[in-house]
Amino acid sequence: MPRLSLYRPNKTNDYKFLDKTISEMYTTGGVDIFVHKYLGPKVVGDSSVRDTGDVTRPTYDESDPLNVEDLLFLENRNRDYDDDIYIMRGVYSVQDIDFDLSQFGLFLNGDTLFITFHYNDMIDTLGRKLVAGDVLEFPNLKDYHPLDPNNAIPKALPRYYVIQDAAFAAEGFSPTWLPHLWRVKATPLSATQEFDDILNKPIDPDNPSAGTIEDFVSMKKKDQEINDAIVQQAEIEVPRSGYDNTAFYVTATVGDEPVKPGTPSVDGYLVGYMTGNNLPPNGLPVTPGVSFPSNPGTGDYALRLDYFPNRLFRFDGNRWIKVEDGVRTELTPGDTDNKTLKESFQSNRATVQTTDRGNIPSSQSLSDLLKPTKDN
Amino acid sequence: MAGQTVPFFYDDQIRRFLIQFTRMFSNYQVEYGVDDSGAATLVRVPVRYGDASRQAAQIIAQNSRSKMPSAPMMTFHITALDYARDRVQEPYFVDRKTLKQRSWDEDTQTYEQTQGNAFTIERLMPVPYNMTIQLDVWASNTQQKLQILEQILPMFNPSLEIQSTDNYIDWTSLSVVELTGVNWSSRTVPIGTDDTIDMATLTFSIPFWITMPAKVKKLGVIHKIIASIYDTDGNAADAIVDDDILMGTRQKITPFGYQVILIGNQLQLLKQEQVDPSRDTLTAPAEISATDPVKWQGFIDNYGALRDGISQIRLTSEHTDTEIVGTVALHPSDDRFLLFSLDSDTIPTNTLSALTAVIDPLSSGPGVGLATASRGQRYLLTDAIGNASDDENAVAWGNLVADKNDIIEYDGGVWNVVWDASNQTPDQSTNITDFVTNTTTGIQYKWTGTEWVRSYQGLYRGGDWSLVL
Repeated sequence: MPRLSLYRPNKTNDYKFLDKTISEMYTTGGVDIFVHKYLGPKVVGDSSVRDTGDVTRPTYDESDPLNVEDLLFLENRNRDYDDDIYIMRGVYSVQDIDFDLSQFGLFLNGDTLFITFHYNDMIDTLGRKLVAGDVLEFPNLKDYHPLDPNNAIPKALPRYYVIQDAAFAAEGFSPTWLPHLWRVKATPLSATQEFDDILNKPIDPDNPSAGTIEDFVSMKKKDQEINDAIVQQAEIEVPRSGYDNTAFYVTATVGDEPVKPGTPSVDGYLVGYMTGNNLPPNGLPVTPGVSFPSNPGTGDYALRLDYFPNRLFRFDGNRWIKVEDGVRTELTPGDTDNKTLKESFQSNRATVQTTDRGNIPSSQSLSDLLKPTKDN
Repeated sequence: MAGQTVPFFYDDQIRRFLIQFTRMFSNYQVEYGVDDSGAATLVRVPVRYGDASRQAAQIIAQNSRSKMPSAPMMTFHITALDYARDRVQEPYFVDRKTLKQRSWDEDTQTYEQTQGNAFTIERLMPVPYNMTIQLDVWASNTQQKLQILEQILPMFNPSLEIQSTDNYIDWTSLSVVELTGVNWSSRTVPIGTDDTIDMATLTFSIPFWITMPAKVKKLGVIHKIIASIYDTDGNAADAIVDDDILMGTRQKITPFGYQVILIGNQLQLLKQEQVDPSRDTLTAPAEISATDPVKWQGFIDNYGALRDGISQIRLTSEHTDTEIVGTVALHPSDDRFLLFSLDSDTIPTNTLSALTAVIDPLSSGPGVGLATASRGQRYLLTDAIGNASDDENAVAWGNLVADKNDIIEYDGGVWNVVWDASNQTPDQSTNITDFVTNTTTGIQYKWTGTEWVRSYQGLYRGGDWSLVL
């Protein structure tokens, strides 16, 4: 008589009976969970577009979850997700979560879900096991009532989680000692580069102009609006570097004694660090140009635009005397009117004309400087 | 006194630095790979204050758990604010700066080319502080973090200037943002159970100053500048307060060294080197004939705008105890002159009845160059009469015997000496003496003990007069 044992090295009818029962239990008592299946690093354009010439960032011609985009940092930044949504039944414990939005809780809150799926149903539906990087969408957690007094949000906000870890569930082993459940650990999704393929789709496919999913479920847009408002205020408070002395009056003098009428030869007591603004004292008129005006009168001002920085001159009756250089400049990074030294390197948008390569960017990395580039 | 409060003052001094700090890190981008055409997909990295209130953060998240934070982004917050003992300077130093504004056109809301108000600004030495700011760079992958850092880090070698305002007067506005430390990652290495958003932390130090409000004063008085402020007891404070201390320890300076001369109701501005007419004559000095006259308008423009009938000239004379004050207005046709409207309350009170005229009794007499004698006529004599050798006009004056500087009066029958100069000596302790006005010229004279001098009309040297706009 054989020993009594529920364990079998292969999947017997006992296993199948239990597995069907468990599957039925998940179908009956589980909740729909939408799965955004990770396909691999994103493949864009043709091979010439993808080829960076960097061996550590290999070129792939097809999406494959086995591929790794960056062999140095070992990360997949631009991920390709299946356009099809896979619906699976899962079970998880609903828990109370504090709304943690403080600085260090922005991304580290405790809203971690442990979801179990029926293993064989998962394989049948998805074709593989759920893996870290797959994104889960919980339709039962859709938010139909976000704070939206103007009804600007066209649809209920979906709730996304990303799988951090996956393994057989301890509670999913039957008396046969074979597993029936797949347990995943999922944390709330962040609107990052990795999930751009999911979030950068229209929230309302019937009305693509309504905006992308990211526009409504991410705080990025609001963060940028906040940032814009602060920069706008900063530009109001300090429109240009240095100091604005245009509101002040300078007395015209000759030989240290006041004269009237007359124009000041210098900014007088207003001269100081970063005060050159290319504006004559007292708001007096100035003639801008790339050469001095002909037949000037004594006390006339001219602004030479062919100087960098532009230079203000005053005619003293015999010659043009330098008054100041226009050294005040916009300060916002990236602003085309930002003329600071560092910005001239950082935001250099100029091009250089060549005889054989057309116009090449003036801004070049030192590591690639003046190297020939491929033609196609 | 109990119950009184300190006037409220708050100027967003630290807040304005934080706003500019935000600007400094704004508009940077990261690359999300390339699109099908090979063009880089760039995404801007927002910057905002990290220490948001829970309520505001929840509002930003639209009170929805579905709202997800984004990366990359940068957040910052203040981690320390320390008094900078090593940068302390004279705490009681008050800097004074004189400024003239251009006039403001309310209609066009623009500055005009003419001079407007003039002010003296007093600024108390600000208090030095060091502010430490932590900037967190949130990135979802290492490549992204490097992209951000590679753009930011070259800007700090070791620091970048920051300005909280472009106000020319604000001497606390300029500072630097110095990178003092970099913490590469907030994650444990190797990665733990969660693939969390990584955070690099940059620490910056900003030395800056917190200041009290400035004092703005109307620049009305071109005051004599007191170069030496110690009295004979070596007491500086008393010397400053007591404007009457004139012991030769003070040096009075008027801008450009200009002097003014008051003739009748007209004030003329004179250069220092121009003729200094004698004040101690009983005849009105002739108008200064200047080939290169100084114009009042050009001078006044240095300090502000003249308001006709309101602006004042104040004169300090050695012959009077108080300032002579009068309102001034520009002469309608000759800009060398100001019209001076004397405040009669500020001139010395006459101690003697008014004179009919100042005369030389040897060259004129009643009915001979002068009106026929009548009761109450009073003359001040510029020469003696009645001596044996001066009998030519004795008939005209009767038997009058009078000395130079005497005042005579006709009583209806004869001329009498009613004020004998030889018996008049001012009280040196009180400086009380006699003043009398000549009704013919309107000039008031003062008796010095030896001679009559004009009490307030005449020349005022630099430092002896001031302009109140």
